[in-house]
Amino acid sequence: MRGLKISLITLFAVLLVLPAAALAANFAPGGLDLVVSPPSVKIGATYDGTTLTVTGKAPAGSDVVVRFVGARTELHMKEKGRALGLLWMNLASLTIDEVPSVYLVTASKDLDALGAAAAPYRLEQVSQDIVITPADKDTPVNRLELLKLRREEGLYREVRGGVTLSPADGASQEFRAVMPVPSKLLPGEYSVEVLALKDGKLAASGKTGVPVELVGIPAKLADVAFNHSLVYGILATIVALLSGLAIGLVFQSKGAH
Amino acid sequence: MAIPLHLYLPIAGNSVNVAAVLGLGVAVGLLSGIFGVGGGFLMTPLLIMMGIPPTVAAASDSNQIVGASTSGTLAHFRMGNVDFKMGLLLLVGGVLGGTLGVQVIKVLRAMGNADFLINITYVLMLGFVGGYMFLESLQAMRKNKKPAQSSQEAGAEPQKPKKESAYARCIKAMPWQMDFPRSGIRLSVLMPLVLGVLVGVLSAIMGVGGGFIMVPVMVYLLRMPMHVVVGTSLFQILFTCVNVTIMQSVENHTVDFVLALILLLGSSFGAQIGAKVGKRLHGEQLKILLASLVLVVMGKMLYGLLATPSVLLAYVGGH
Repeated sequence: MRGLKISLITLFAVLLVLPAAALAANFAPGGLDLVVSPPSVKIGATYDGTTLTVTGKAPAGSDVVVRFVGARTELHMKEKGRALGLLWMNLASLTIDEVPSVYLVTASKDLDALGAAAAPYRLEQVSQDIVITPADKDTPVNRLELLKLRREEGLYREVRGGVTLSPADGASQEFRAVMPVPSKLLPGEYSVEVLALKDGKLAASGKTGVPVELVGIPAKLADVAFNHSLVYGILATIVALLSGLAIGLVFQSKGAH
Repeated sequence: MAIPLHLYLPIAGNSVNVAAVLGLGVAVGLLSGIFGVGGGFLMTPLLIMMGIPPTVAAASDSNQIVGASTSGTLAHFRMGNVDFKMGLLLLVGGVLGGTLGVQVIKVLRAMGNADFLINITYVLMLGFVGGYMFLESLQAMRKNKKPAQSSQEAGAEPQKPKKESAYARCIKAMPWQMDFPRSGIRLSVLMPLVLGVLVGVLSAIMGVGGGFIMVPVMVYLLRMPMHVVVGTSLFQILFTCVNVTIMQSVENHTVDFVLALILLLGSSFGAQIGAKVGKRLHGEQLKILLASLVLVVMGKMLYGLLATPSVLLAYVGGH
């Protein structure tokens, strides 16, 4: 009886709070609803990159910028330089913090055409946001080199024309963004953010988390590799030995015939 | 299709084209079957180009070499080309040397500019070893040709007995002489032990498997026949790489088993073919080909040091 009473009270409380929460989401400044499909990225054995589709409604007449961003991490790096003025090699060490693991951005127009309003969401801004230590290594060259390195790895990209807009329907218009996610992807928490720009200002925005997780064989292997590393090493060695032996024996039997 | 075109590598954090990795495995396996080298000099940079982090590329390469060298050792063993006694002595020395080398590198790093020293030493050594081997085998091949021609013209000419060099006398004077029937030589036990330590130190400092150093050491300093050198080197590499695979798995979690498995299927196959190809070549031909390979690797390293890199930042743990 007592349990039932408590559940009833809880139910009422939830019913009371729910609409309030929904109202808050709808009317929050810049509130914009978006749907990401698939809602999470599952990395199985045959994962080779995927495509996220982001849909929703933005204020009519706005341009839409969509970005896919990974968690910000710290990187330990070496600066390449010339030793004795002749030979290139890794010289000074530096640490770069606040580096997004992945940064993909696309828009309904060419990002250049969107001008200053889109600037905070572009790759150049990422190079401004990172923190380089020690201070004497914090040079514009190093900031740009990091961007270049991540671009070459396919982790940072400004994708052209990934967002299509439907004709305006009253105060809003539908958008649909196609975001190609690279194959070089580690499990973790990522986010998709939609920014509607109108008259050179941010008119509305929305954000949703996209978890990336390992499933199937990769998940099992990673678990053994990190949690039972000795077993993993020994097993990897044994399988390699046995495969080498097996292939050796196959050749022997071939030679005998 | 039954075999997927791409597979995701859980430790490397990227997907690779299975056919490309398999092909790379076959190519490297072929080299190790012919020359008795691990092939890391080729494998690691190509894997990095495919988008595998350098540390994962190197560690997974060690894992695949276990498969390739097992297969290659087996093939050479059947041809009677593995000197187990010599291999084990070199191995004992190598393990001691490797441990010592790790300490040496710590001291060098603390002194600063270690990378510079290591790179220069490596390039110079590859150049010296490759150049010497190349010239020596070229001369030997010419000598072999000449008597054959003259014997046709003026009948058989008895070969002059070689004058014993100071080095050969020195070897004979060392204590604890032992017979190595498989290689057909008699040496002091100290020789393979000490040289094993030396190679172990060098490969630990330079972060390479040591095949390029070990093979010339066996040919010129231990004076073993080239074919036995290849088989014995593979036998030795097998143990080194078992050790590296387990150590890397435990300490750095950098062995990607999926990657290693695809590679080793290719390379175990390649090693068998390589052993057969090697059998058809003469010792001098093998030496001159290996010397060319060593010189090419040296050229590539030198180019890497001289050319302006495309990106001026590198992740720590890379090359």
